[in-house]
Amino acid sequence: MDRARLMLLVVALAGAAALPWIGGPFWTGLATQMMIFGLLALSVDLLLGHAGLFSLTHASFFAVSAYTVAILQVRYGWPTLAAAPAGILLGTALAALFGISVRTRGVYFILITIALGYVVWGIAHRWSSFTGGDNGVTNVPFPAVGPLAVTSHTQYYYVVLAAVILCGLGYRVLIRSPFGLGLRGVKASETRMQSLGYRTGLHIYVAFVLSGALASFAGVLYVYYNKFVNPVAASFPVSVEAALMAIVGGTGTIVGPFLGAGVVLGLRNWVSSFVEMHHAIMGAVFIATVLWAPQGLVGIAARVRARLKGRDG
Amino acid sequence: MAEHALAVVNLGKLFGGLAAVDGVSLNVATGERRVLIGPNGAGKTTLFHCVTGTLKPSSGQVSLFGRDVTRLAEHRRTALGMGRTFQITNVFPDLTLGENLALAIVGTDRRKWVVHRPAETFEEVRRQALEGLARVGLEGRAQLPAKLVSYGERRQLELALALNTGPKVLFLDEPCAGLSPAERQRISQMIADLPRSMTLLMIEHDMDVALGLADRVTVLHRGRVILEGTPQEVRANPQVRDVYFGHA
Ligand SMILES: Nc1ncnc2c1ncn2[C@@H]1O[C@H](COP(=O)(O)OP(=O)(O)O)[C@@H](O)[C@H]1O
Ligand SMILES: [Mg+2]
Repeated sequence: MDRARLMLLVVALAGAAALPWIGGPFWTGLATQMMIFGLLALSVDLLLGHAGLFSLTHASFFAVSAYTVAILQVRYGWPTLAAAPAGILLGTALAALFGISVRTRGVYFILITIALGYVVWGIAHRWSSFTGGDNGVTNVPFPAVGPLAVTSHTQYYYVVLAAVILCGLGYRVLIRSPFGLGLRGVKASETRMQSLGYRTGLHIYVAFVLSGALASFAGVLYVYYNKFVNPVAASFPVSVEAALMAIVGGTGTIVGPFLGAGVVLGLRNWVSSFVEMHHAIMGAVFIATVLWAPQGLVGIAARVRARLKGRDG
Repeated sequence: MAEHALAVVNLGKLFGGLAAVDGVSLNVATGERRVLIGPNGAGKTTLFHCVTGTLKPSSGQVSLFGRDVTRLAEHRRTALGMGRTFQITNVFPDLTLGENLALAIVGTDRRKWVVHRPAETFEEVRRQALEGLARVGLEGRAQLPAKLVSYGERRQLELALALNTGPKVLFLDEPCAGLSPAERQRISQMIADLPRSMTLLMIEHDMDVALGLADRVTVLHRGRVILEGTPQEVRANPQVRDVYFGHA
C-alpha cells in the first residue's frame, strides 16, 4: 500500500471514530445504516463484481436472518449469542437452497432470483401468525453478550464499525484467494475454466452461499439497529438498491459498495424530505452511472488520480 | 488397447440437421504426435470439443488410457490428463499473465478451494507460474494484464495455460492461427520441443508445420476421416490433394 492510501485510511478511521462527537445522532445513524447496507451491497457484489452474476434475491437472506433474530429474541427470549448465529445460519441455509439458481446464467438467473425474492417477501407478508404480517416483529432489544450490553445507538455504531472492518478484511482475503481468483476466471471465461479443471457450477454455488452468509450477517446488524423488522426488509426494492449501491460505488472493489450505500441512503434522506419521488431519482442516478461512470465512484477516483499523476510526471 | 492414450469410436455430433462430426474413429498411441488436417468446416474443432468434453457428442465413445470418459464432465477429463488450447484465444483478459497461469496451476488440485489465504502467498504456485511463462517465451511479463499484451503473446499464453494443468494428452487447436511467419516459427518450435512422453493432437492448417511435426496425420472432410497415414502418405495421396490442397 502506498503512503497516500495509508494516510487516507488513517484519516477515514479517525473520522469514523470521531463521528458521534462531530456529527451527532443524525449522522451517526446515517453512517450506521450506510455500513449495514454497504455490507449487504458488498455481499451482492461478491457475485456481481467477481463472478459476474446479478442476484436480485439478497434481501431474502438479509430478511430471514433479521426475522430469525427478532423472533428468537423477542418471542422466545434467546440471548444475542444464540439468536445472532441462528439468524446467520438460517439465512445461509436459505442461500444454500436458493443457490440452485446458479444452474442458470444471465437474464434467466436474474429472473429466477427475482421470483425467489418475491416468495420470501410473500411469506413474510402473508404468514402473519408467525411473522407478524405487515407490522412485523417489534421491540427487538440492543445486543448483549453476558454483562456486556449495548445501551445506545452511539455504542451500537461502534459495534457495527468494528464488525464492518472485520468483514472488509476477511472479504479482502477471500477475493484475493485462489477461490476468489477462480471467480474472476469464471466471470471472464467459463469454458476456459472448465478446461483448466474447474467445476464452475460448484465454484459459483459456493460463492453464492458465502455471499448469502454475508447478507445474513448484514441482516443481524440491521435488526439490532432498527429494533424491528417487517416485510419491507425482504422486498424487491431492497435487493435492487443493494445492487445499485454496488454499481454506483464501483463493482469489484471493497469500498465501492459502502460509498454507493452512502450515496443512495444520503440521497434518499435528503430527497424524500421534500419530494416523494426518490425512486425516480435513484433511477436517474443509476442511468447516469451506467452511461458516464461504469466503474462507479471508485472508478472516477482512479481516473482523477491517474490524471493528477500524469500532470506531475 | 491400454497402450492407446486416446481411443475415439464412431463419434458423431449433430448440429440440428448438420452432422459436423460423422462417425469418426481414431486411435492415438501414447507419446504419438497426431496432426488433424482438413478444410475449413471439416469438423476438426467440433471433434476436439467432443473429445475434451466442451460439447457432448450425439453418439460414439471416447476413452482416455483405456478408461471410458464419454460421460465425464470436462473438468474431470482435465483432472485425468487432458489439456487443450482454443482456436479462438480464450484467456483471462483482466487478469495478469501470472494470475492466468496460477488459475491453470491450481485448477487440477485442491488449492483452488482455498479461501483464507491470498493467492500470491503460494510460493510454489508463483515459482511454477514464472517457469510456465518462461517456457513459452513470456518471461518478465507476469505482472501485465493479458489484455495489454500483443496477440502473439496471448497465443503463447493460450499454450501456457494448457501446459500448466499437467496434461498427459494435449489438444492444440490451430495454435498458430493468425500469427506472423516469425511467431509461427517460434510457437511450432515450442511445440516440437515438448517432451516426447506427452501425447499430442494438433489441428494445423500450415502443411509444412503439420507434416514436419506429425508422426501420423488424420485427414478430415465433411465430418469423416478420409485418410490416416504418415506425412509422406498423406502428401502423396491424390484424394487429399483434391479436398485439402484444393486448387493449389
Ligand atoms: N455451435 C455450433 N452450432 C451449429 N453449427 C456449428 C457449431 N459449431 C460448428 N458448427 C458447424 O459445424 C461444422 C464444423 O465446424 P468446425 O468443427 O468448427 O470445423 P473446423 O474446425 O474443421 O473448421 C461447420 O459447418 C460449422 O459451421
Ligand atoms: Mg476449427
